[in-house]
Amino acid sequence: MSLDFSQPQRQSTAGILISGAYTVQQFVRAMFIPLAIFLIKSNKAALLYTVLGLVGVLIISLIYGYFYYRKFTFYLDPLKREFVIDKGVFGRKQLSIPMEKIQQVNINQGFLQKLIGVYSLQIDTAGSDSKEVNISAISGEIAFALKEHLLNGDREIDTAIPGELTNQPTAAKETPFIKIGVSTLLKIGLTSNYGQSMVLLLGFGYAVFHNIKEVLRAFDNDNGQVEQFFKSGVTIISISVLLMVLVLVLLITNVIRTFVKYFDFQISKHHQSLLISSGLLAKKNTLLHPDKVQITQFSQNYFQKKIGLFNMALKQAHAGKEQTEKEVRSNNLEVPGCSAIEKDEIMRMILSKLPTEGATYRPNFRYLNLPILFWLILPSIIYGAVYYFDSAVRPFFPVAIAYIFIAMLMIYISYTKHRIIVSEDFIIKQSGIWDISKEIVQPHKIQSISTSQFPWHRSLDIGHLTIHTAAGNISFSYGNFTEIKNLVNWWLYQVECGEKDWM
Amino acid sequence: MQNFTNETIDLNALPKFEETPLTHPHQKYWNVMLINLVLFLAFIGIGLSLLIVFKQEVQKNWMLWAGLFIGFAAFLFLLYRASFKRRGFALREKDVLYKSGIIAETTTIVPLNRIQHVALNEGFLSRMFHLGTLQIYTAGGSTGEIRIAGVPIEQAKAIKEALVQRLVINSKPETT
Repeated sequence: MSLDFSQPQRQSTAGILISGAYTVQQFVRAMFIPLAIFLIKSNKAALLYTVLGLVGVLIISLIYGYFYYRKFTFYLDPLKREFVIDKGVFGRKQLSIPMEKIQQVNINQGFLQKLIGVYSLQIDTAGSDSKEVNISAISGEIAFALKEHLLNGDREIDTAIPGELTNQPTAAKETPFIKIGVSTLLKIGLTSNYGQSMVLLLGFGYAVFHNIKEVLRAFDNDNGQVEQFFKSGVTIISISVLLMVLVLVLLITNVIRTFVKYFDFQISKHHQSLLISSGLLAKKNTLLHPDKVQITQFSQNYFQKKIGLFNMALKQAHAGKEQTEKEVRSNNLEVPGCSAIEKDEIMRMILSKLPTEGATYRPNFRYLNLPILFWLILPSIIYGAVYYFDSAVRPFFPVAIAYIFIAMLMIYISYTKHRIIVSEDFIIKQSGIWDISKEIVQPHKIQSISTSQFPWHRSLDIGHLTIHTAAGNISFSYGNFTEIKNLVNWWLYQVECGEKDWM
Repeated sequence: MQNFTNETIDLNALPKFEETPLTHPHQKYWNVMLINLVLFLAFIGIGLSLLIVFKQEVQKNWMLWAGLFIGFAAFLFLLYRASFKRRGFALREKDVLYKSGIIAETTTIVPLNRIQHVALNEGFLSRMFHLGTLQIYTAGGSTGEIRIAGVPIEQAKAIKEALVQRLVINSKPETT
């Protein structure tokens, strides 16, 4: 196939298979439980029909996949500087994406795609739904050449295509400046992202519980055995054993997740963009332009501080839409772990210089009022009331005391860590309790600014500030309002007189 | 604040957003808000009177319910009044200001060169009073946007035109 992208061209023929498989996968996923129940309960004749039906679905999917493949073309319009996709079997749809609006290009390889040896290419723009602009099967050669064209827009690119195309194409000319090895990954897995893994485990546990009940119900003998099982096993010893097992499972899941997601993580400079690739089963390549990063964030918790690791996130514009968690993750590029030197290197690349120290603004002690009211006083009153009327909660008195101390400590830490640091070119917001994060914004990335004040804080000169950027808000609460107003005037001056564009 | 002073700019000489005189919504907009409030209260009132007529338990202490309803209505009225009094906007040379809030007073400032687009809405009631709602969008998402209700329609059109003109001027150097 030619590498002249100005002519409309199709995906790789393997696209038929991929899109067929995708349809089948969707179908099976949606119908899994009803199908399983049906299979268990039915006789042989019905089984045969089911299998025939499934084969039918497969054939129809493949036929649909074929037509989808025939009707799907894409090309680059060099005059208008647009990337155009034509698609749709029944209704036609033409998507055109202006090249300068492209934020990042993702080249992924899922499991099936790895088997066949093709890649999918996704284009992220600020505002569009990324699923829309998705070419699901093209050869690696075309994918990487296309990515080059898309991100380097006007610049003439030599048509010399690197001959060898492995998972790390054009490897010859890029030397990754950050590479995360196995031992670092292990450290990362043991120290970070507990929250996410916990949510994942909870979801998984619930799904298992729910499905067991579903299957039991299918056999018409759900008499609450599952609940019974859980109830019978609850004693103090079993709870502590269970807790230890849970912590262990949590750590193991965390390590496995980290490995699957970030195995062979590399960042390399590529003309003026950053090429980030990682993944164990599915390879993910992302190319992004440093100018499109709106918020640069790095964070560290107690353990990570001891071993000198940082988490980084590069947040890009999301057009202010409500987003699913998945979209947020695709917009926020994460660097799971890097040393201080590597962190500085990335920041120099994105912000063009390292943030300098500036004036620090801390909140008034009244910052503590609301959290203390909601997390300490209200729960205490409720517990006290229940304690008075119901003897069942009385044995938990030590737990309540422990809760109050821990909550008090956490609120106090969050108060001492909450601050903004302002210098001429940077605004740095620090916050957090366990993971202490710093979010860095350059003033020209500001979209709008809000200030607010409660009437009873007027005489105390206390107020709040929110900076709105295309990648989310940054707020600073309970600051000196006169200082905040001065800062706002200063930033407005910078935004309104500056020539720099935010994207 | 000394940390910022560099040779060319005196921070105290910067225009102060907090001292900008604000334009308040047109007095007629209070009518629109009032009609909205009355419609809303009437809706709840009808529901409540139906309950009083048909439900024995409610009927018994109808005085209490009616009292609650009147209290609620008075509370809402005060909130609406406060909200109306607080609102104000200003168009500066290089940005748009909008102040609002029922309890906390919030001022949002959108620099003109960060405006994505401007919309002018006319609701059914507002149209009867020749008022419009200006909506100013940025890439910063819904929380950082400005929605100015109760602007006389002619003025709103003029403002929108001015902002749009400004946008074209701003985006010109990009395209060429």
